[in-house]
Amino acid sequence: EKADPQKTAFLLRKAWTLYSVTPLYGFRRGRLRDYARLLSAFIAAEKQKGLAVEVGVELDIKVALSSLADIRGSEQDQAALLVQLSSRSRGSPRNSEDKPVWWGWFCSVFGDELSESVPEHFTCLPLFLSHGAESYTALVGSWFQKTFDCCFRRLAISPLNLSWMVAMWAGCKLDRAASAVELVFSVPRLAQPLDISYAIHPEDAKALWDTVQKTPGEITQEEVDVFMDCLYAHFHRHFKIHLSAAKLVKISTAIASAHCDGIVKILHSQYLPGVLMLLTELAISQIQ
Amino acid sequence: MDETVAEYIRRTVLKIPRDEIKMMLQKWGFLSEAQLQTLNFHQIKDNISQEVVQLCEENSADIKQAAVLDIIYNHIYQNKRMWSVYQMKKSGEELEYFDITDFKKKFKRRLRSALKNVTITFKEYEDNAIWIRVAWGTPHKKPNQYKPSYVVYHSQTPYVFISSSVLKSTLPLLCQALIVASNYHDIREMELRSHSLNSLKDIVFKRYSQNFQTCTPKPLQAGNVEPENEDIRIVDENRSEKERIHRLNQEVFGSGPQPKLEFAQYRLETMFKSDPKMDVLDKKEPFRCLVKFSSPHLLESLKSLAPAGMADAPLSPLLTCIPHKARNYFKIREKKGLYPQSFVSP
Repeated sequence: EKADPQKTAFLLRKAWTLYSVTPLYGFRRGRLRDYARLLSAFIAAEKQKGLAVEVGVELDIKVALSSLADIRGSEQDQAALLVQLSSRSRGSPRNSEDKPVWWGWFCSVFGDELSESVPEHFTCLPLFLSHGAESYTALVGSWFQKTFDCCFRRLAISPLNLSWMVAMWAGCKLDRAASAVELVFSVPRLAQPLDISYAIHPEDAKALWDTVQKTPGEITQEEVDVFMDCLYAHFHRHFKIHLSAAKLVKISTAIASAHCDGIVKILHSQYLPGVLMLLTELAISQIQ
Repeated sequence: MDETVAEYIRRTVLKIPRDEIKMMLQKWGFLSEAQLQTLNFHQIKDNISQEVVQLCEENSADIKQAAVLDIIYNHIYQNKRMWSVYQMKKSGEELEYFDITDFKKKFKRRLRSALKNVTITFKEYEDNAIWIRVAWGTPHKKPNQYKPSYVVYHSQTPYVFISSSVLKSTLPLLCQALIVASNYHDIREMELRSHSLNSLKDIVFKRYSQNFQTCTPKPLQAGNVEPENEDIRIVDENRSEKERIHRLNQEVFGSGPQPKLEFAQYRLETMFKSDPKMDVLDKKEPFRCLVKFSSPHLLESLKSLAPAGMADAPLSPLLTCIPHKARNYFKIREKKGLYPQSFVSP
């Protein structure tokens, strides 16, 4: 099911920090306006306590909660929930536009594995993505944790999962000129740390993946391993360096990029559901 | 004093870390020692720079003097800039006597004949280095002092180090003026770039310890390998392998410190070769890749890969050739014919 490109345009080309979130207890979709008010009051109160976010600037933070009905996988998935913080400096006139300063959204794309196993009154939105100041994330996160008895945890992405992503996304068909398929490795434990960027022409990476993948629409761990081994072997042939012993920290394709610290950027709306499905799966693994 | 000159001096002083301002002004020598004594270096930089400007006003500073201060700053903080290396070619073998006055005259004349509005400043340093600063204007605009080019020329060598202005069109003019002034007939850019100007000099002037094949390999001293564990119950199983790696590393990198480079880039246009059993890509066209290595000290980092178990020893010549080929940008294509396993780098 495709998401409305206009509504989801704001999701693209932003660096999102990923979290897994345990199911929310007592969340009611009809009460979004109330929640916005409560969260707004919470933020104002925390600022009064001296946990000010912006120093030296008088800012009013406005909170808006909305549902993104199109961002879900199956009928069982809850629609995504967007939290947006905007600011308006106190000095400016009443009807001046609010400036968005922070976004956070909860979603579940084919998260049936989790939603099927929770009791009543729990809402499953296991993947949380935030963009904006860390201090706002902490405020919003702690309000949700207190209000719905849930738990947020940063979602790191292992080299194994990064290699899945790069193999999968390198194989995607793209209509226009695509950017390179890039893998970034780090060798930190040397006296002088070394970073290696290995960027492959997207057509050549796709050609390689197409010969590795045996069944279209289906990917196995073995195929991902073969793909990566091919890349490692090509590299070793030239440089005599065992790239497999280095740490894969970031991958980048025309579809999306992902960093092991749990930061992703989605570049192509067509593949948004696919990317979110993979990330939902990672979030659920971390919760269970 | 011209307002623009005042502003330029003010901004240049602001760049300098506070505890180095006095030293740099002394090196500049434009303000007298007495004037320098009147400066309060313990206030905020904004105020210090204002006071400096006032003193310069008293001495009627013009852009020429301000430019010298800028060279001094950039000479000390040379590693903030990215430097490219150029090599000039002479037509004959004649060793000509280098006349610095002649050089400067010809350089200025060549540039000024092409572009009326330029600020050209020279400063000579002890290691035979001539620093040249050029600020570029247009036929209708005065030179932009904030985007100059810097050139470092060692007159006894055919090498020129250039930190280009962001105004790309000025580079050909600069190169032209250099060859005319130095009596060479051609100049080409080498594939060698770094922030560390001294390392670039080390590489092209061959001032680093190179890899010499020793006739009799020295027996390994205790100090050469990782300090052994005092506990004799711990036996180093692959001691001989460690020693072999260490010896190969020495042969290939030499035993002295490596020149400091921050990156090396390889554009690969070689074929993808795989184990036929794997039944994968078997294209007749190159597998196009761009590989970039980065490190605070690249060559030392590469040297430590084999001992760390991350690479085979000896390391690939594509990496070890960086200093003696004097390049860190490569384009690698498959060598056709007799030795399909080897690579050419044009």
